[in-house]
Order: sequence, then C-alpha cells, then structure tokens
Amino acid sequence: MKTTTLDSKVAAFCEGLIPTQLTALQTQQGQAQAFLDSNDFPTTRHERYKYTRLAKLANTEFSAFKLSDAATLQAYQLDADAYTVYIHGAQFELPSDLPKGLSLTLISQQNDAMTTELEDVFDALSSRYCHDGLVLHLADNTTLDKPIQIIQVDNGGKFFYKHHFSFGKNAEAKIWYAHFAQQASCSFSHTHLTIDVQEEARIQIDKLQAANDTHFAFAKEHIIQAQRSHFTINTYTLSGAFVRNEVTVAVAGQHAETHLNGAYLLKGQQHVANYTTIDHQVPNCESFENYRGIADEKASAVFNGKVFVRPDAQKTNAYQSNASIVLGPDASINSKPELEIYADDVKCSHGSTTGQLDENALFYLRARGIGETAARTLLLQAFMAEVLEAASPVVQTVLQQKISQRFHWEIQE
Amino acid sequence: MIKITNLHASINGKEILKGLNLEVNAGEVHAIMGPNGAGKSTLASVLAGREDYEITAGSVDFDGKDLLELSTEDRAREGLFLAFQYPVEIPGVSNVNFLRTALNEKREYLGEEPISAKDFMAMVREKSAIVELDAKLASRAVNEGFSGGEKKRNEIFQMAMLEPKLAVLDETDSGLDIDALRIVANGVNTLKTPNNASIVITHYQRLLDYIVPDFVHVLYDGKIVMTGTKELALELEEKGYDWIKERMEA
Repeated sequence: MKTTTLDSKVAAFCEGLIPTQLTALQTQQGQAQAFLDSNDFPTTRHERYKYTRLAKLANTEFSAFKLSDAATLQAYQLDADAYTVYIHGAQFELPSDLPKGLSLTLISQQNDAMTTELEDVFDALSSRYCHDGLVLHLADNTTLDKPIQIIQVDNGGKFFYKHHFSFGKNAEAKIWYAHFAQQASCSFSHTHLTIDVQEEARIQIDKLQAANDTHFAFAKEHIIQAQRSHFTINTYTLSGAFVRNEVTVAVAGQHAETHLNGAYLLKGQQHVANYTTIDHQVPNCESFENYRGIADEKASAVFNGKVFVRPDAQKTNAYQSNASIVLGPDASINSKPELEIYADDVKCSHGSTTGQLDENALFYLRARGIGETAARTLLLQAFMAEVLEAASPVVQTVLQQKISQRFHWEIQE
Repeated sequence: MIKITNLHASINGKEILKGLNLEVNAGEVHAIMGPNGAGKSTLASVLAGREDYEITAGSVDFDGKDLLELSTEDRAREGLFLAFQYPVEIPGVSNVNFLRTALNEKREYLGEEPISAKDFMAMVREKSAIVELDAKLASRAVNEGFSGGEKKRNEIFQMAMLEPKLAVLDETDSGLDIDALRIVANGVNTLKTPNNASIVITHYQRLLDYIVPDFVHVLYDGKIVMTGTKELALELEEKGYDWIKERMEA
C-alpha cells in the first residue's frame, strides 16, 4: 500500500502519470526521477515562488483528458491561412504543405538525446513525463511567407511538452502560440521551449494565453540569440487560473536586438507570474522590455524582470518597464525589477509603477460627457494599447475580441 | 440658464463656498474675479461635479434641472462645459477618439443618432480652425506633450465640438502668452450665440479686454460680494483686491 506523506506533494501530483517513452529523453530519466524523489514543490520561502502558492496545484483534482474532434480544434485557429500545428493532449497534428526551408517534426520522431538542465521540480517533471514536442527548423536565408500558428487546446489531464525551435542565419518568421482549454475541463500543462536564433535572423513570437479559469499553465522559454539577430516575444495572458511564464534570453552575439512585451488582464482569482531574464553576455546589444497589466477582483500578478549585463557587455542598452493598475480592492500586484550590471559603459533603465486608475483623467473624461464605465474602459485600453499593438495584426484582433468579451470592453476605433 | 442659490460647499471639512448666489441668462457673459483662495475654482469644480467637494446647502437650477442631482457626465450631456484650469494629459487616448465618444454619448443621451465618421471629421476640421489648432494635434493623444497654450486651445476646441449651453472657463488665461490669449478669446467670442452663455473665471482683468463681459462679479470669501459691469474689472485692476478686503472688513 502506498501512503502519501505531507512532504511528497509532487509524488501525489505524479500519480497516474506515465513515465515518458520518448527515446530522446531516456538518458535523463534516472536524473529526473532522482530529482523528483528528493525535491518537492517550492514553497513561498523560495525566492522565485515568494508570491505564488503551489498548494492550489497540489490540491486540484484535474479532470480526465477527453479527446475533442478536429472541427472543435479548428474553431480555435486564429487565421485560416497560416501554417497550423494543433496540440491536443498527446496528439500533434502538423501541416502537410510546408514551404521550402521549413521543417516541422516531433520529438517522438527523433533519436538524438535531448537533455534539459533541471532548475526546478517542474523541469524534472517535464523530463520524466514529457508527452512530446514540436521540433521546428527554418533553414538559413528563409523568409516564411505566412505565420506558423501553434494552437494548443487542452481538455483535461496533465501534459508536458518540450519544443525546440531553431532559426537559421538570416531567417525570418512569425510564430503565434495560442493556448486554449475546453470549457468544463480542468487541465495542467507545462511547456518547455528552447529557441535558437542564428545570425541576422528576425523572429517574432506572439503568445496568447487564453485557457479557461480552471487551467494551470506553466511555460518556460530559453532563447539564445546570435549576432545581429532580432528576437521578439510578446506574452499576452488573458485567462487561466494559474499561469507562470519564465522567459530567459541569452544575448550571445553582438549587435543583437531583443524585445520582450507582455500584457496581463486578470480578474476572478487568477494568479499570473511573469519571470523574465535578459542576459547580456556580449557588447553592443539592445534590449527593450515592456510589461503592462491590470488586476481586478481578487486576481494577483507577479512581475520579476532580471537584466544581467556581464563585464564584457559594454555599450549595452537595456530598457525595462513594468506598469500595472490594480482595480479591485482585493487584487494585488508584485513587481520587482532586478538589474545586475557589471560593465561600466552601458545605458540601462528600469521603471516599475503600480497604481490605480488616474482619477483626474477619469473626471476629465466624465466632464466631457463620457459615462463612467466607458471612461474607465477608454483609460484601460489606452494603458494597455502600447503592448497590445506589439502583436501581429491578426493576434491583435483576437486579443481585442477576447478582452472585450471578458471585460465587456467595447472596441474603440 | 443657471441659477445658483445660497450655495455652500466644503472640502475636507473646510467650508469654501459660503452662500453663493448667481444667475446667468442665455446670451450673457459673466466674469467672476477674486483674490486667490476666494473659491473661484471651487465654484467651477462644484458645478462640474467633482466629488471631492461636499455640498452642504443651496441649490443650482440648470435650465430647469437640479444640477446637483446629476452625475458629472450627465451635466456635460445637458450642456455644461468646464474648460479646465489644468487640462489633464491622457496618454494613449487620441483627441478625436475621445471627442467622438463624448459627442456620441451626448447624442445618445439626447436620443439622437450617432455622428457619422465623415461628418465628424468635417466638424473637427471646421472647429479646430476656430482656435487655430493644428489638425495634427487633434489626432494626437489628449493633451500629451501639448504646450500650455495648446492645452488651453484644445479646451476651447472641445467646447466648440460639444456646443454647450453654458461654458465655465476656469482661469483659461493662466499661463497664456498674449497671442494664445487672443486666439482663445477669439474662439470663445466666435462660439457666442444668443442661446448660450459663459462664466469666465479669472484672476486678472487682461482676459476681459478680449472677452467682454456683460457682468463682473467679485467673489470673496466664498460669496459674491460685488456685481457690476466691465468697468468694475478695470477698477479692480487699478485698486487691487486689497480694496475689496478693506471694504469687506470695514
């Protein structure tokens, strides 16, 4: 008989999960299991989980995975023209007609060993229980004519994915990663994504997180950028009970440019945490980071933005901004910029503001005849506009639709 | 048009307006002058409905409606306009989007159809010309990065767009150079009709060289203590507010 003791929440969480069969991950199984045997979920004593209570995760009964049909999945696509990948439980559906230079395969089709640095218990869980992952490669000098949309639709169960994207020299692409969940399901998903951006490649990733409000989503992205590359990742979190994004960008080549934008619009009891790290390893690079958010009702958000400028990284320009509006009396936002600068000839700035809606601006609008609700909406839209406008137009449209449905915002033209 | 009777208002327990009476009819321009701290801006804020103020006594009849019972937005929709002493910068909200929303909310309130995009843009062109406001400013974010003069011209531009019955201009002359003052005053004069009225609140007589009032009132210690014609403004300019103080305290 198996007993679950208090200090093995992870063991309880793993019950029913089947260790991964993926050939590529077999070499790391012993290490991953050993990690799980000796580590539990981090508590709030852990610096990176100070504002995040994982007890909820340990106590949640996830619903059993239910297969949805193709038409149901298709309804979630953002654009009928894009190259579309569907991720649904352990099932992946890849597009058939791919342009020259683009290759899309799965981890399950590869034999080369793949190892992940085990930073925390979720990395170990991911390595131990990974279902599959997308391997995307775009060849040198290839510009994708259409975006790739990755549509992940969860419908119960706990799923772990490891994706790897590599973009060749001078390649150019836009990737949309949209994450949804079927209503009435309660699912968990963990996505580990590594991205290799070669010299002069220009890549934009728009992440749309719009699962249902009983969903737990953990996402970790590790990006490495070579010289003269441009990389943008926009993270938009609209719904989900619990969302944690950890983005780490290693800027490893000179004259590279990095953009990190994020928006979170929260209500109910949502908890959303964004941890970002930009590691400037070499000289002459620029990074721009801008996260904005709104927390209403009892929602809570965490932003932790780390910027490292290593001793060699002279002439770095690094800008970081995080601004949040707390709407509900029971809502909370914790924002923490962390700059570690070891080079002396750099320009770095960071700003963090958390406050309420500007009452003077609200009065000004009302004094012109704009009703209170419309005035609030106008101000909130204006506040979020900057980061929403960083998305591709199609993604922006979807964002506006979702936001107006969720927050009853009328779309202003 | 508006009849203010025995108005008392306080903020944080301190009484600022102490029984103010004022009646303004259609077609009239009234100037309210007074020393700092007399309650001039409080009067403007109370009329517009700023919630920081508590009305402890009195009434305000606005064209047959009990103004004090109306929300800030409904006062505006009924035709009251406050030109702010310090117009607020609103990053991210474009002037035109803001004005179209305001105009259409007013129209909806009055049971009218929304304005078409074409008519609206024609109106923007026409009205921005009145205050010589660059059309480019009309499409920028509300007051963001505007100079002091541009902000005040933008106030009058908004007034022109919203066509109020009663405009309250709160120290619109403050921070304006002589050219901007002339443009703003000219805008106000152009918008004057027999059916609307304005209350011009000012500390200095200079604005009244350009906007000629029918009546001049002196506000002192929360009350109108003297009423006259435009000559009163000149007398005040000459003798200073100490003259009022001495007369009141005598």
